[in-house]
Amino acid sequence: MSILDSFITKARTLKKSVVFPEIWDNRILEASASISKQSIARPILPGNPEEIQKNISASGISPCDVDIIDTKNPQIIEELSKIYQKQRPNIPEKVAMHLVKKPLVFAGLLVASGRADAMVAGAASTTAEVIQAASLTVGYQQGIKSPSSFFIMEMPDSRIFFYADCAVNISPDSNTLADIAVSTARSYRKMMDSEPLVAFLSFSSKGSASHPDVDKVIKAVEIARSKDPDTAYDGEFQVDTAISESVAQKKLKEPSRVAGRANVLIFPDLDAGNIAYKITQYLAGAKAYGPILQGFAKPVSDLSRGAKPSDIVGVATITCLLS
Amino acid sequence: MDRAEIEKRVKKVVSNILGVDEEKITSESRFVEDLGAESVQSLELVAAFEAEFDIEMEEDAALQVKTVGKAVDFIEKYLKQ
Repeated sequence: MSILDSFITKARTLKKSVVFPEIWDNRILEASASISKQSIARPILPGNPEEIQKNISASGISPCDVDIIDTKNPQIIEELSKIYQKQRPNIPEKVAMHLVKKPLVFAGLLVASGRADAMVAGAASTTAEVIQAASLTVGYQQGIKSPSSFFIMEMPDSRIFFYADCAVNISPDSNTLADIAVSTARSYRKMMDSEPLVAFLSFSSKGSASHPDVDKVIKAVEIARSKDPDTAYDGEFQVDTAISESVAQKKLKEPSRVAGRANVLIFPDLDAGNIAYKITQYLAGAKAYGPILQGFAKPVSDLSRGAKPSDIVGVATITCLLS
Repeated sequence: MDRAEIEKRVKKVVSNILGVDEEKITSESRFVEDLGAESVQSLELVAAFEAEFDIEMEEDAALQVKTVGKAVDFIEKYLKQ
């Protein structure tokens, strides 16, 4: 059983609803039908009910498989506009009403209002647009100021690692790096039902090299620990020190809960993170699931614009587990 | 509506959304660098212009506009259509 199969099994027990704003894309309709038929979640499709009914019927999908929300319903528009103004008090009502008409904002507000548990978008929008809408509507988790992303890496020997950030923050400073680590630890805990052991990676292991880039990572470890004292954060570590107990024993003078046993790897910048996940995927034969967005108060996930319906089902499944 | 009127109303909208004193806003003002707009506020600015001028703008193109003067040009084109 792959990790995704186990996620699907778990998602079925949670009975979550997921809103898909990009209803004009047939891949979304196909994925929604599959999600509903497999009982992974309840798909919510916002838009013109008559048009959606027509499109889903043409795709062979039963209207019973999905929930449809009319985006022109004045009561819903008013309700969502008020929620928006509560989040962003400087925005006048007339402007909020305009914002609600934008599909990603509408969907984000459905999540913020509790009408949906999670949102999945990006099949026809950029990552920046998805993040922007989520930031304005759902907002961030307590203590988090920066959205980020993670990959679930399933190794050929079935070991699981979470990698972050491999897709969003190009050159994070210490505060952002700490946010990435805290968010990824929370995501790991929700998805894996076990303790995250979080390693901050570098080209140095506990002072073996001196450089401002190393200082950045050391400071990030301190910030993460102060934000989330109940989780095991450690570093700076070279990757071998983080994941190999024998190397950790040789290289480290002091004991560490994380060294040699890390299951969450925090990369110092996007160059390192992005290269690492692809090299693990292509040279080590690992399966990569992601990038999954994180850091928002409620789950919002981004899709690759080349995503196939099966990819969308996978992302929606993972998103359910984060809610 | 003439250009001067559009510019006056654009500056008022920018002032309201970004919380910047209207007198400090010029045609050359850049939304992010000079007026302190956060990236997430660009969508709010687009919606505020749409509400003010009763137009629907093409979002991707609108989000590429970086200065107050270019915003005036952009809106003027929509109003002439």
